[in-house]
Amino acid sequence: MATRMKLKLKTVFVLYFMVSLLGLVYALMQLGQRCDCTEHDLPKDRTISRLRGELHRLQEQIRKSEATKQPQKQADKPSLPTIFVITPTYARLVQKAELTRLSQTFLHVPQLHWIVVEDSPHKTPLVTDLLVKSGLTYTHLHMPTAKDRKLQEGDPSWLKPRGVEQRNEGLRWLREDRRAQPGGDNQQGVVYFADDDNTYSLQIFEEMRSTQRVSVWPVGLVGGMKYERPVVEGGKVVRFHTGWRPSRPFPMDMAGFAVSLKLVVANPEAYFDGEAPMGFLESSFLQGLVTMDELEPKADNCSKVLVWHTRTEKPKMKREEALQAQGLGSDPAVEV
Amino acid sequence: MPKRRDILAIVLIVLPWTLLITVWHQSAIAPLLAIRKACHHLVKEIFIIPERLAVRHHRLSDDGVEGKREAGGQAQDSKEYCASDKDIVEVVRTEYVYTRPPPWSDVLPTIHIITPTYSRPVQKAELTRLANTFLHVPNLHWILVEDSQRRTPLVTRLLRETGLNYTHLNVETPRNYKLRGDTRDPRIPRGTMQRNLALRWLRETFNANSSQAGIVYFADDDNTYSLELFEEMRSTRKVSVWPVAFVGGLRYESPKVNAAGKVYGWKTVFDPHRPFAIDMAGFAINLRLILFKPQAYFKLRGVKGGYQESSLLRELVTLNDLEPKAANCTKVVDMVLQREENS
Repeated sequence: MATRMKLKLKTVFVLYFMVSLLGLVYALMQLGQRCDCTEHDLPKDRTISRLRGELHRLQEQIRKSEATKQPQKQADKPSLPTIFVITPTYARLVQKAELTRLSQTFLHVPQLHWIVVEDSPHKTPLVTDLLVKSGLTYTHLHMPTAKDRKLQEGDPSWLKPRGVEQRNEGLRWLREDRRAQPGGDNQQGVVYFADDDNTYSLQIFEEMRSTQRVSVWPVGLVGGMKYERPVVEGGKVVRFHTGWRPSRPFPMDMAGFAVSLKLVVANPEAYFDGEAPMGFLESSFLQGLVTMDELEPKADNCSKVLVWHTRTEKPKMKREEALQAQGLGSDPAVEV
Repeated sequence: MPKRRDILAIVLIVLPWTLLITVWHQSAIAPLLAIRKACHHLVKEIFIIPERLAVRHHRLSDDGVEGKREAGGQAQDSKEYCASDKDIVEVVRTEYVYTRPPPWSDVLPTIHIITPTYSRPVQKAELTRLANTFLHVPNLHWILVEDSQRRTPLVTRLLRETGLNYTHLNVETPRNYKLRGDTRDPRIPRGTMQRNLALRWLRETFNANSSQAGIVYFADDDNTYSLELFEEMRSTRKVSVWPVAFVGGLRYESPKVNAAGKVYGWKTVFDPHRPFAIDMAGFAINLRLILFKPQAYFKLRGVKGGYQESSLLRELVTLNDLEPKAANCTKVVDMVLQREENS
C-alpha cells in the first residue's frame, strides 16, 4: 500500500513538474513574440503618434510664421499705437457675462490695453479672476461713486450719469501713474471709452488707431434711432445727425469717438463733468480738447456702423427671489 | 534522506511557478514602460518650443476620447506630467491676436453650431458679437439659419467677412396673416423650423458611417458663451449637459448630479418635472447620435412652453445617458442674456 502510494505521489510530482515546465516554456515563447496588445494599449499608442504628428505640424507652422513675421514684428512693434480702452463696470448679475463677451472681442485686437475701473471701494475677486484668465494686457483700477451720485433701485437709467468717476480715474491713471512707469513716456496711443454692454466690431479698432486728435464715427441703435452719426462734407464734420438735442456741442455717444493719448496728456484739466445736464457728458470732456472742424471722420467718412449701443435687459429673477424668501436660494458660491 | 528529497521536490515545484509569474508580470509592464518613455520624450521635445505655447491636456481614457484643453499653463517637470500614465501633455498655444480663426486641427471633433436668426435692428450687432466669440474656437462650423424667404445680403456679407467656416441656410416660418402686422404663427416656437432645417442639412451632408467626429450645439444669437464651454462639450459621447445662468427666473438652472456622476433630476423652479428641464443652451449632442436617429426633430406644434428641448431629447437619450460637464455641473459656463429692445 505504502509503495503504491509513494509511486502515486512520485507520478504526481513528475506530472506537476512537467506541466510547470511546459507552462514556463510557453510563457517564454510568448515573450519573444510581438505583444498582441489588449485594447487598453492600442488607443494610447495611437494617441501618442497622433500627438507627435500634430506637434511636428505645429512646430513647422510656428517656424513658418516666425520666418515671415520676424521682419514685420521688428517694424510693427514700436509703430503700432496702443489702444487704451477704459471700461467702467459695476457689480450686477450680468457683469461677468458682459465682461466675458468684451474680453472675447478684445482678444482679437493687437496692441490693446484694457483699463477696467470698478465702481467699488475695492477690487472684486470676480473681475480680478476674469482679467487674469482673459489673456489680455490690462490694468485693474477701482473708484467708488459717491452715494448721492449713484442710481438707486427703481431709478430710471437716465437719471444720473454713470461711470463718470470711473472714467476720470482711468484718465488720471493714464496721465499720472502710467507716465511714472518705465516706457510710460511713449505717447503713441489712442484712448477709447468702451462701456461693457456695447457691441464692437473688430474694424472699429483699426479705424481708431490712426487718430491724431479726436476721431469720430457712427454709433448704431442709440438715441432712439437706428444710428447717430456725424455728417461729413469735404472730409470734415459739419454737423451731427441725431434725433435728440442736436444743439449740444458734441451730440455723440461715448462709443462714438476716440482721443489720442497725446491730447489727453497735454490737457490734464479735461475730465468728465458729473454735474453736466443729461446728454452733455461727452461734450463736457471734448469741449476742452477739440473744435468740430478738427474732428477726424472715420468709418468711410462716417457711413458705416461699426459699433452698436446695445443694452442688456436685467434678467428676470422672480423665482430666485421667491426661493430666497424661503431660504432655498441658489448656491451663492457658484459664480454667475 | 526524505527531508532532502522533500526539499528538492518543493524547490522543483516552486521554482517554475515563480519564473512563470515574473515572466507574466514583465510582459504586462513592458508596454506601459514604452508609453512612459514616449511621454517623457514628447514632453522633452515640447520644452524646446518657445513660450507662446500653452498646455493642452490629453486624457488617454480607455475609450480613446480626447480630454479638455486648459489654456495658459507653465512649463513644468516632465516627471509630473508623465507620472500618471493616463495623461500626456501637449503644449500648443495659438497666437490669438494674429491667427483667426485658429488653424483647423485633424484631431479635434468639429463643433457644429446651429444658430437661428431673424431680422431686427440688433441682429447685426448680435451676430458680430457671436462671431467674435467663435473666432477663438478651433474646429468650429457655424450653421446660421435665417428666418426669411431669401438669404439676406446683410448676413451673407457678415459671414463672409468673419472668415469663419460657415453654412448659410434659410427657411421662413409661415406667418399668420390673420393677425395684424408681421407676426409669425404663434403656435410654432421661434427658431424651431430653422433648427430643424439645420438638423436635416446635417443628416443630408454627413454619412452615418463616416468617421467624422462632430458635436451639435444650438446657440441662440443673444446669449453669452465662455470659451471653456466649447472645450467641455467637445468630449460629448451622446448628450452632455451643464448649468445655464439667468434662465427660468433663477440665477442659474442646472441638472442634479448624484455622487456616481449621473443626472437624476433638474434644479429648476419652472416645471422641474419636464423630461428634460433644460434650456436650449444647456446641452450638446454628438453628431453620430443625430445621424443614427434620423427621425428626431423638434416638435413644431402642440408644444407646451418649456417642452421644446424635451421634444427633441426625448427621442435621442434617456436621463441615464446624460453626461454632466462643467465640473459635475457646479460651474456656470453659459449665460443666457436678453437684449433690451432698442434702448
